[in-house]
Amino acid sequence: MTMEKMSVMNPNLLGTQSSQAPAEPSATTVPLADHAPLVIFQEVSKWYGPVIGVNEVSIELRPGITGLLGANGAGKTTLIKLLAGQLRPSLGDVLVCGVRAWSAAAKSHVGFCPDVDVFYEEMSGRAFVQTMARLHGFDRRAASERTEEVLAEVGMSDRADRRLRGYSKGMRQRIKLAQALVHDPDIIVVDEPLNGIDPVGRRELMDLFQSLGRRGKTLLVSSHILDEMDTLAERVLFMGRGRILAAGTLKEIRDMLDNHPLQLRISADRSRELASRLVHWELVRGIELRGRDDLWVQVHRPSEFFPRFADLVLNEGFEIGRLQTTDVTAGAIFDYVMKEAAHF
Amino acid sequence: MAIELLGYRSWRGKLRAHGWACWPIVRTGLWIVLRRKIFWVLLALGLINFLLNFAGIYIISFLTTQNPNIKKMIGGFLEELLITSGKSEEYLDFMFRQGTVTMLLLAFAGSQLIGGDYQQGGLAFYLSRRIDRRHYVIGKLLTIVSLVLLITTLPALALFFEYGLLSDSLDYLRDNMRILVGIVSYGLIMGVGLSLLLAAIAAWVPRAVPLVMTWACVFILLPVVGENLRHIHGNRMWRLLSFWRDLRLLGKWCLDALVLERDEDRLAYWAAWIVPAICTLCLIAFIRRVRAVEVVR
Repeated sequence: MTMEKMSVMNPNLLGTQSSQAPAEPSATTVPLADHAPLVIFQEVSKWYGPVIGVNEVSIELRPGITGLLGANGAGKTTLIKLLAGQLRPSLGDVLVCGVRAWSAAAKSHVGFCPDVDVFYEEMSGRAFVQTMARLHGFDRRAASERTEEVLAEVGMSDRADRRLRGYSKGMRQRIKLAQALVHDPDIIVVDEPLNGIDPVGRRELMDLFQSLGRRGKTLLVSSHILDEMDTLAERVLFMGRGRILAAGTLKEIRDMLDNHPLQLRISADRSRELASRLVHWELVRGIELRGRDDLWVQVHRPSEFFPRFADLVLNEGFEIGRLQTTDVTAGAIFDYVMKEAAHF
Repeated sequence: MAIELLGYRSWRGKLRAHGWACWPIVRTGLWIVLRRKIFWVLLALGLINFLLNFAGIYIISFLTTQNPNIKKMIGGFLEELLITSGKSEEYLDFMFRQGTVTMLLLAFAGSQLIGGDYQQGGLAFYLSRRIDRRHYVIGKLLTIVSLVLLITTLPALALFFEYGLLSDSLDYLRDNMRILVGIVSYGLIMGVGLSLLLAAIAAWVPRAVPLVMTWACVFILLPVVGENLRHIHGNRMWRLLSFWRDLRLLGKWCLDALVLERDEDRLAYWAAWIVPAICTLCLIAFIRRVRAVEVVR
């Protein structure tokens, strides 16, 4: 079944969702980008006996990097395993390129990099990737060629003959990534890739993910390290208690959190005068003066605030040294979303 | 061109059929076992028995050409240990001795072959490929069957052909095709039975020490219990509690070596029901465990 056909069959899934609030923790479907979705979760629920792992999740994934954020036990791993075809949903459907995720046809589109650090310790990295390629159906020669290509891609060509036992955490991540890429999948699912990696290794892995994203691959990167997601992910999914709490770009999600005014740090030459002007605006919820020049301003409806603020600065001749949002980070938004979710 | 310069590029070749995926699983499994020193120690034990028989057949054959009565002179002394007359019972005993070595090997290999996939999460890598659980199950079982055949059936076949080729004429080979079929059948029964039992136990008890203890219970404790119950109740059927004995009874049936005076035909009949039943249960248990990978650890 093609994506176009599926779109026609499920008009609600693709056409009517953009108006729905992504932050609402219900079975909403949120298109994440303008490209055709490669992955569709249709009201998916998964129970482990009496425990619910994923609760009525409907999402679509499109080319680019999507971050999957959530606390431990939020349902990230279950969602990832559903996508990788390692779990079957108790209810609903997971479609990968139009076919069910647990079918062999779907698995050829998905590269899975699990959160497992110990595997065939006595095997060399090269042999491990080759074995995975053979499992995928490559003949010996093709498997060897593909292995060399992906090892070069992840920067492990020169170290691939060492046994996995001697690998650092970062090297293991690269080898896991190599085995996920070996069959040239359209969708790459990476579970907690940045765990325990040093900052240099983290930077290198993130560069690699970004280069894959630029090539049109669909990446779903799960992490509880929120700082990296600011720069890595184009879109994020926040999960909590098995539900998708919010989906979209960080800015989109931030704008929807009306109960949490945007925090701005403004450094101006006449900060006290600026504060006295701003304090009368209904858009401004509070102002705090810190130091000589710094104003910390809490703003409702930023989209209205910024044009008005720009006019004020131009008309009154304020010199602005710094204008910085301090809580449009994944970490800050995650905290807000979790607080909001607590009300449901 | 340096490989680093090649970089990543899309691959648009043709992949092989899914069924081929069993082969890399077998190969990887054998590689895991073969690189263990304990395997080579146990293989050497098995090899000693094989070489002893191999040399024995050759020497007896050579001496027989010098003195036709030599078989009678040395037969009684060596017939317990060696294949001296080429009878089916001798191949059965040889395979039984080899099987004991195989059992020891499998006790150690189980945690590496299957237990490791559960303990270390290797199953996630397998099941993320373009295969399903069926290929994984078949691949793992074939690995164990290969090990069993390597140590029991192949040496027995080699000895059978050696005996046939060194006998006076090739009539031995032609007249004893039943032995050939029996060796292969017994090997397969042992292979299938042991592989399913090991797979089921290793999947549910993946850690090495508990696995060895469970394995020992099945092959040491149960026969002892069966033997004691036989003494208490005076019923030979209790001996069927020993899975190893059940396999041997089927082997005897395959090699036409049942001792009717000991009521072995009746026992073999029940063994023919018990072994497939245990195999089926083990297969179900193994498959259930492979499915149970769904449950988040």
